[in-house]
Amino acid sequence: MNTPKKRNFKIEAFKHRVEVDPKYAEKTWKVLEHAIHEIYNHNASGLSFEELYRNAYNMVLHKFGDKLYSGLIATMTLHLKEISKSIEAAQGGLFLEELNRKWGEHNKALQMIRDILMYMDRTYVSNNNKTPVHELGLSLWREHIIHSENIRSRLLNMLLEQIYRERTGEVIDRGLMRNITKMLSDLGPSVYQEDFEKPFLEVSASFYSGESQQFIECCSCGEYLKKAERWLNEEMERVTHYLDPKSEPKITSVVEREMIANHMQRLVHMENSGLVDMLVNDRYEDLGRMYSLFRRVPDGLSTIRDVMTSHLREKGKQLVTDPERLRDPVDFVQHLLDEKDKYDKIIGSSFNNDKTFLNALTSSFEYFINLNGRAPEFISLYVDDKFRRGLRGVSEEDVEAVLDKVMTLFRYLQEKDVFEKYYKQHLAKRLLYGKTVSDDAERSLIVKLKTECGYQFTSKLEGMFTDLKTSQDTMQGFSAGQGPEAAGEGPAIVVQVLTTGSWPMQPSAACNLPAELLPVCERFRAYYLGTHTGRRLSWQTNMGTADLRVAFARNQRHELNVSTHQMCILMLFNSADRLGYREIEQATEIPAADLRRCLQSLACVKGKNVLRKEPMSKDVGDDDAFFVNDAFASKYYKVKIGTVAAQKDSEPEKQETRQRVEEDRKPQIEAAIVRIMKSRRVLDHNNVVAEVTRQLQSRFLPNPVVIKKRIESLIEREFLERDKADRKLYRYLA
Amino acid sequence: MESGTDRVRFNVGGRIFETTATTLAGAGRQSMLGAVLDEDWNVRGAAAGEYFIDRNPACFAVLLDLLRTGELHLPPTIPEKLLCREALYYGLLDHVRAAKWSPLDGNRLQLARTVTGRAPGDGAAIRAGPDGGCCVAHGSMVHVYNWMLDELKPITLDYLRVNDAGYMDFDKIVVTASERPGRGDGGLGLFSSSTGELRHRFQVTHQNQFKSFTAGALTFDHAGRRIFASCKGRFNEYGIGVWDQVTGQQTDFFYELAGTGGDTVALGEADKLQWLEGNRCLMTATLFPKADHCFIGLLDFREKKVAWSWSDGGSIVPPDEKQVLAAVAMEEGGPCICVVNQYDDLGFLDLRGGAAGRSIRWNSRSRFMRGKMDGMDLCFPKLEVNDGQLFSSMNESISVFSGPEWVLTSRLSSSSGGSMSDISIAGDRLFALHSDENVFDVWETPPLPTM
Repeated sequence: MNTPKKRNFKIEAFKHRVEVDPKYAEKTWKVLEHAIHEIYNHNASGLSFEELYRNAYNMVLHKFGDKLYSGLIATMTLHLKEISKSIEAAQGGLFLEELNRKWGEHNKALQMIRDILMYMDRTYVSNNNKTPVHELGLSLWREHIIHSENIRSRLLNMLLEQIYRERTGEVIDRGLMRNITKMLSDLGPSVYQEDFEKPFLEVSASFYSGESQQFIECCSCGEYLKKAERWLNEEMERVTHYLDPKSEPKITSVVEREMIANHMQRLVHMENSGLVDMLVNDRYEDLGRMYSLFRRVPDGLSTIRDVMTSHLREKGKQLVTDPERLRDPVDFVQHLLDEKDKYDKIIGSSFNNDKTFLNALTSSFEYFINLNGRAPEFISLYVDDKFRRGLRGVSEEDVEAVLDKVMTLFRYLQEKDVFEKYYKQHLAKRLLYGKTVSDDAERSLIVKLKTECGYQFTSKLEGMFTDLKTSQDTMQGFSAGQGPEAAGEGPAIVVQVLTTGSWPMQPSAACNLPAELLPVCERFRAYYLGTHTGRRLSWQTNMGTADLRVAFARNQRHELNVSTHQMCILMLFNSADRLGYREIEQATEIPAADLRRCLQSLACVKGKNVLRKEPMSKDVGDDDAFFVNDAFASKYYKVKIGTVAAQKDSEPEKQETRQRVEEDRKPQIEAAIVRIMKSRRVLDHNNVVAEVTRQLQSRFLPNPVVIKKRIESLIEREFLERDKADRKLYRYLA
Repeated sequence: MESGTDRVRFNVGGRIFETTATTLAGAGRQSMLGAVLDEDWNVRGAAAGEYFIDRNPACFAVLLDLLRTGELHLPPTIPEKLLCREALYYGLLDHVRAAKWSPLDGNRLQLARTVTGRAPGDGAAIRAGPDGGCCVAHGSMVHVYNWMLDELKPITLDYLRVNDAGYMDFDKIVVTASERPGRGDGGLGLFSSSTGELRHRFQVTHQNQFKSFTAGALTFDHAGRRIFASCKGRFNEYGIGVWDQVTGQQTDFFYELAGTGGDTVALGEADKLQWLEGNRCLMTATLFPKADHCFIGLLDFREKKVAWSWSDGGSIVPPDEKQVLAAVAMEEGGPCICVVNQYDDLGFLDLRGGAAGRSIRWNSRSRFMRGKMDGMDLCFPKLEVNDGQLFSSMNESISVFSGPEWVLTSRLSSSSGGSMSDISIAGDRLFALHSDENVFDVWETPPLPTM
């Protein structure tokens, strides 16, 4: 051993940090690039996912993300250019198929590339605001395939041609179409819209514009609508089969515009097949189709509605002003009801029970019913007829149905108070003469009127029913108190006690009752006043009836059903064979007009002439004489003697009814004015009129001139005063 | 590998794992383990019968267990960082985060981490991010931490003084900063949380001119995609600015208005803004005004008016009078604003009652600290609300109030760092920033035990 040398420490320079193989990135990228090529060439089975994933991970980890990302773009672009060439080379109809096939392959490749580069997507891409792999693949496809010059217009033309062929009846490959449009949507909504939808809508518009022109020249309205409906359905079907769902409203609006909106007026007014023709002939199916198609376009329904309304008003006006119809009120109302039914059915079955159509129907009826001033009377007469005859033997539901219909007409009336007046008269007669078919039905209608117009409207009508019920009880009490001995002999009476004011008749002078009746009448009066103190009874002899047993010569026995007046006359003949007109008048004190009618019906009606008149003539003169007609014969035991009807309300009488209505309206208008002014204190003229009209419209439509007069009258009576500064203002004076 | 069965064999770094395709499907198609089973990749047909993955087997075992059970059990031999790295490789990071902690419950919180800061002193604010990360504003910087509490690149708005910060979403942070006189800077900036880069600057225009301004408090209307910030400019630009989150453009400006009695409502100096989704109003609270008195109001931007307001009325406040120091609006139950004073009393302002609701109802039952006012390092209290629980920081602890009567149910405190200057809740985590050493605590609710 040599002398030990000083141990030689050698300090090595600090090593540079371990260099990664400079070619590392290049090598790794080559592996990945090769894999991407293999994937595009359908040769991926030999690739190891784990290895590729790890390589991509390492590149990102060692900050080669940029290289990886730009390499990906370059490689994909290369492949897409090749794909683009092969699609361009495809001939004719194979073009779409080739495009579809390549799109499928690209998608699959893209999925696999994304799997490999998942780590890059998650870290590098999100940290550097790059486009993720999948979106990148789509945007490159868009750039190099869809927007390439040789493909873009060819694709569009192919698609439009396929659709045109399908519209003209050919069968096309819908699956292929669906895949292509799906591709366009996947590439972004703007691609689908710009590269397909917009031109598609333009082409469709011109197609349908041409078709509609051609068809409207040669088709009827119904046929045209059928065609339009079919086309619309076809387009919707097309959307569900192979277009983006968002296209549906757009394409249907094109069809709607071209097929319907542009021809709306012409269709509706088409001669012999337009809307009016459909309405007249109840063509429900066509009407329904028109409704559902027109509903889709702006102003479509209002067009139908306007035409229907004007047709209905025209027809209704004819109906209510036709003098022929006015002869028979029942027929008149029946026609109105039929018309209403017809349109109810049309609206129900074809117009989807559309509220606006129902409103139009209502306003039309309101319009023309009130054109005829006698409508309220006629409706009441119609009801009268139904209650007297029409409803006999009809089931409860049917009665309700009839009443409901009547109520709808009633609702259309403006002058509800006139109706009330007539209805009261008619009802009174029905009740007193026991002519009504069904009490329940009567009451049911009154309930309906009450819900419609309120308590006040029907309180008197209800009072009439109450009177009759009370009278029944009174009579029971009366005859029970008479005892059996009184019941046996002498005439029996039935009294109906009517409350003054509830009933429409004017108090009239009572006639002289036959002496035979006076005791029993007196007993009733005593009984009634004994049970009800503080009341006054007066006899309405012009309203009653009587049954008389008569023995004619040759032992002919009959029971005569006559009015009270007639009874009084006949009783006179118990003590005389011959009576002159003046004698009868004197003895009975029946008013002349009534007396003449009674005598006419006793002596001048063939088959019921229980009296004989000299001279024989139709009219009753002051000097005529009357005898019991011993030759009277009838095959029935019971004979009903009618009363010769008074001449129908003659013109002056009608005027009087009218006047009475007007007179009744005055206090109602005044009450309304005072109510309004009391709450508002100060109000101008126009508002008062509007408010009064509003408050009273459920009963009648007050005339503004009348309202003005009532206001003036109230000012005179110092309920109101005019404002000193503004003459249009009224003030309420407490 | 047997065909027809669900079984899959992996060789991870030399260790064999056998599992089922069903278990792996739980990883989702967007993960490496989901993709590997896709038939395109032909893994099941691999001849070797097992599939090799060149990764750490110990971590794979933990992650496979996570996929099987949904629970995360980390052996002490594996550092959390390592596991996270591996999870990122497989694309399972979201699974790990979801398994680490449960929805926040103030009464079950545990201190998960304490992270030491860098600069002592003036920590201004801490803000929790929606994914569990957070950012801490102090001085002229914002330090950003991801949910694993790794610090990312900090944000600087050209080293201006930062006033407030907030997450627009997990990757976007908005920072408000003061203007330096005569430089025309300041305002609001949008930054990437992962890279710290400035992405956008929000401008205020007044009569078509860009104005420089100081931005203060900040809040978001996430449903309406809006940003609100209090702004102080040189002239007319005092008020609340509104920007669109998508376009970044200014969409509205709520100028200061003359309040009752001639004082202006100091919106530009608001200390706290909060968007109330139910009322469609913005709560603004100005509690430390320079001149005027305290003001809390609800601004209705559709009608451009103050829908509701409260003020301490301008009377001279005696020194020991209760002063409102923080406010938070609560929409659950009866809508009200909760405030806290220097004695840590909670007080409530009812938003529904008209004038009657405008006096503070102090809740004596929830008074939880008296005295102790001699501490040197006082911090102003802060309030936060989360899922029906109210969190109030005061000095060195956080109190949790629950139930309709706001009963004190828990108190959280950690030993280090001194008193707390700010707290923030989001992403099911509670962050508390201490003033002394810029330490912040992370509180999490541990998953409930399955057994």
